[in-house]
Amino acid sequence: MKSTKFSLATKLSKAEVDRKWWEIGDFFRRNSLWMLMYCTGCCAIELPPAMTSAYDMERLGMGPMATPRQADILLVSGYLSLKTLRRLIYTYEQMSEPRYVVALGSCPINGGIYHDSHAVINQLDQYIPVDVYVAGCMPNTESVMNGFVDLMGQIKNKQANGWKKYHENFDWYKANQITSLGEVDVHDEFHE
Amino acid sequence: MTIVNVLLGVGVAFFGFVLQTSIAGINRKVIARLQKRQGPRWYQEFLDIFKLLSKRSVSHGWIFDFGVIMALGGIIATAMFMPLTSTFSPFGASDNFFIFVYLLAVGMLGMAMSASGSGNPWASIGVMRALTTMLAYEVPFLVVVLTIIKLTGSSSLSAIQLFQQTSGNNWFIIALPIGGIVGFLALMGMLGKKPFETYIAPGEIASGPMVEYGGKQLGMLFIMHEITVFIEVSLFVHLFLGGAHNILEFLLKYFVVYTFANLISNVNGRFKIDQVVKFYYKWPLIMAVFQAVIAIYFGWVI
Amino acid sequence: MANIEILLLVLAIAAIVSYFLTKLNTMLGSIFTIFATMFVFVSLAAYGTNLNLDTTVSLFPGLTFSQTYLGFYFVIIITFVYLMVSFFHPYYIGEYKYKDSYNFLFLLSLVGIIGAFYTSNFLQLFFFFELVIWTTMFLIPQGKSKEAAVSYYGFSVAGSIAMLLGIFIIFQQSGTFDISTGLAALSGTPSVFVFALFLIAAFAKLGVFPLHIWLPIAHGNAPHPFSPVLSGALVKLGAFIGVLALIRIAPQTAMINAVGLPIGQYIVALLGSVSIVFGTLMAIKEDDAKKLLAYSSMSHGGYILVAFSLMNSIAFAGGFYHILAHALASAGAFLAIAAVARQTGTTKMSELGGMIHKMPITYLAYLVAIISMAGIPPMGGFISKWLIFQAVIDKGMIFVGIAVFFGSIGSFLYVFRPLAALFLGQELSEYKVKVKEAPLLMLIPTVIIMLLNVYTGVFPGAILGYTNKVIMELGYPAINVSTFAITGFNGVLSPALISLMFGVGVAIAFVIFIVLKKSRKVGLMDTYTAGNFVHDEHLFHYTKDFYAPLERLYEKHSTKMQTFYKSLANKVKELGRLGKHLFMSKYVEVAVVWIIAIIFFLLWGEIL
Repeated sequence: MKSTKFSLATKLSKAEVDRKWWEIGDFFRRNSLWMLMYCTGCCAIELPPAMTSAYDMERLGMGPMATPRQADILLVSGYLSLKTLRRLIYTYEQMSEPRYVVALGSCPINGGIYHDSHAVINQLDQYIPVDVYVAGCMPNTESVMNGFVDLMGQIKNKQANGWKKYHENFDWYKANQITSLGEVDVHDEFHE
Repeated sequence: MTIVNVLLGVGVAFFGFVLQTSIAGINRKVIARLQKRQGPRWYQEFLDIFKLLSKRSVSHGWIFDFGVIMALGGIIATAMFMPLTSTFSPFGASDNFFIFVYLLAVGMLGMAMSASGSGNPWASIGVMRALTTMLAYEVPFLVVVLTIIKLTGSSSLSAIQLFQQTSGNNWFIIALPIGGIVGFLALMGMLGKKPFETYIAPGEIASGPMVEYGGKQLGMLFIMHEITVFIEVSLFVHLFLGGAHNILEFLLKYFVVYTFANLISNVNGRFKIDQVVKFYYKWPLIMAVFQAVIAIYFGWVI
Repeated sequence: MANIEILLLVLAIAAIVSYFLTKLNTMLGSIFTIFATMFVFVSLAAYGTNLNLDTTVSLFPGLTFSQTYLGFYFVIIITFVYLMVSFFHPYYIGEYKYKDSYNFLFLLSLVGIIGAFYTSNFLQLFFFFELVIWTTMFLIPQGKSKEAAVSYYGFSVAGSIAMLLGIFIIFQQSGTFDISTGLAALSGTPSVFVFALFLIAAFAKLGVFPLHIWLPIAHGNAPHPFSPVLSGALVKLGAFIGVLALIRIAPQTAMINAVGLPIGQYIVALLGSVSIVFGTLMAIKEDDAKKLLAYSSMSHGGYILVAFSLMNSIAFAGGFYHILAHALASAGAFLAIAAVARQTGTTKMSELGGMIHKMPITYLAYLVAIISMAGIPPMGGFISKWLIFQAVIDKGMIFVGIAVFFGSIGSFLYVFRPLAALFLGQELSEYKVKVKEAPLLMLIPTVIIMLLNVYTGVFPGAILGYTNKVIMELGYPAINVSTFAITGFNGVLSPALISLMFGVGVAIAFVIFIVLKKSRKVGLMDTYTAGNFVHDEHLFHYTKDFYAPLERLYEKHSTKMQTFYKSLANKVKELGRLGKHLFMSKYVEVAVVWIIAIIFFLLWGEIL
């Protein structure tokens, strides 16, 4: 027979409490995304229509920010030469967590039209984790906005875990970076 | 002074934060509609601040954190003294005007200490520009306030509101029109609105003092900025627009002043820092002195 | 029961003993100096507070002493600063060229100060005044900068001669050198002359515009532990003479009805305002930390003169409180800079950086001192500035008001610069290893002064009660002050309430901070560089020409006063050369002609 004794509601375990706080945090994080626009190449031209009256990023809560410490999204728009990749990795490691990477264009996917160049890398995903790709050369502004909405959906479904992957597989990523670049932190650039 | 006063003060600070954040969000929508866009939700600023508070950022040492705590603490302390209407003041007659001007300086000193403690030269340059802007707008503003205090005979904000509300007296923006214009220009400098936005200057100095902040420190600084704007706009409402009899009148006047300042700032570019100093020490200072002379020595008050 | 004469005699003997002890062993002599100063301070504080000192003179007939609240207020502040500074002697004495005379001159100048404030005879006042000037004149250069001693001596002696002339005019009118009877008998046109002459002496000693050139040179080149004494204590001698002139002489000249002040006081207020603005602008430009604090002393000297020239109790209370608050703040700031200079060997801000990481207590002491100097609550400087603002607004003085507000806001700028450039910012590689925190004996006075700065800001009631006694002694009504509130002309200030609310605000902010996620700690060089890889800290440290855009606006006018004094000195030299050319040329006949002519003119009255 079922007990008729009154019992208190089961206390939530610590993991469940953390998960609930994380869900609330996700609501805030996906509705107020700040971007650091690292305009590495030609795809950057698609951003002005996205920011201004034509497609208005601000109604989604997104906006540009000046420094990596303040930003949530690192927007990689275009091809990545070796020189730029060093600075991109340096900037990515300076961002506050949780952080997301959105890659515009075909060049971060497979090299794009520069796929056989000696100075350009082909797959960005080997060096830093990417959350959303927006294909095209270059993609339409509506595709870019679609990509942002996809990112917001991924945050809601807890699939935007690129930054956690970076921590867990840090050695693998570092090994790739050293193989291609030699060293990430350049010394004696200004002959100090 | 009892616990009730302290709780009322904390309540006023919290109310000011909620009010200013909502009005800032509504203003973002107004500006967007001006630019033929949709604009964000009215509670967007809240989302921004809570998102920042939930991120994990870096710290450069104990002075970096301590400065932020001192800044937010100082501003909350200042907001605790602010009267909302002519009859509601958390601490009675102790809401002296000079307390507001100088406790705001404590908050700014805390933020300056923390920004310089991050070790980034952009932060020190931004703090230098902020201090120079403060030197520029405070002197004409304090000359006009000198006139107001001399005419009222008291420097308590509640007493100044009651003086303007007695019949036969006009609001000070009508009684001292030239002083009112100088006061509004000084208000725009205080709020850091264009063209006096020199200390943030995202394109020139990578957002100035905020360059190394992220996560909870930046969230606390945003809260500090919202409460600072609340204090400054309320000061203008109480000093020049006759304060308020009830809370609805206060909300209306507050909204009108802040939106008007925002609309003007939206169509302006940004000054260089020496242009800011030269601007404030030319016509606003001459106008403030002229207004003081005719009001105190000749008694020509409308 | 302590006797002033015995106290002075003991102090003079202690000075001579310390000379020989320092010759023997510098550490022993310096520690003896600490004890001697402590003995004097304790006896003065114990007996002098309620005017219980014995003023009978038995050993040196002709000396007369009398106790006043005014004199005691100044003496106790100055002796306290001397005591705090004496703790630094054991560590700095090794650097001087003339070690044995340092302690001797230090104690002898203290004799001069105590005597100057307790005497009741004008000629003895002049004697003790000159004793202070001569002993400090030899203390300042210590083998380094002759120009400092020369300019300090020149301006101080100009002031003393003016004061001596004023004393003789008083003697001519009243027939006595006694201070109280002399001042009471003064009236009419001679009183205006004495007023002006005493004011010249006050301006020269305070370092107020236009007699301010010696201030940065002397304070900047003085030995590091002696600068706080010069800036915080000795300039108050000028304030004392200023009080004598402005309040006790107070000639009845024409009144300016618009502000309700006699014209003499109004001119002093205007000169004080110019001094405030000038000092602030020159301090903003300055690169050397000690010269910057010297210019700040000039600015605060202007505040003190403005306060004393407004002729009402609230202004006087503000002036007296400012003397105490400025002495403490200036001493605290100078002691912190001295501690840094000992470890690094320089006080120039463009060569230093990041000292907070190794010297946190010195940093806190400096922070509290500059919060007080800038006039920000909850420290002592805010109380005195608030009282001065009350008086200025009540009189409706606009131009003095502009200068006072400008000085108050401008002081944020120049006190922030050493904080950002010297203590904060990047840790420079040349100091990372060898800099340590200051030793314990140096930290004790630093912490005591820091706590006193906070106390004067939170509970001003006790000290303002004492200054009320001084104000009533000068013949003005006392101000309304209770334990927790001060009543001004147009408002009530409760410093304890403000400090309490500040504490509540910081507690709330701290709770918000602790509850959120902990931050990751990174080094200072891991910072936003727009993607550049920078490895040298010097490229990242912003310290040279800190306020360059503001300085550019007035750079061209900043040397005008110095060129004026240089041209004045040149004109005097040319006059001398003219005389030499006329009277002492190489032809003997010219000299004979002049001698005959002068004898002829002298005997003119006799012959004809």
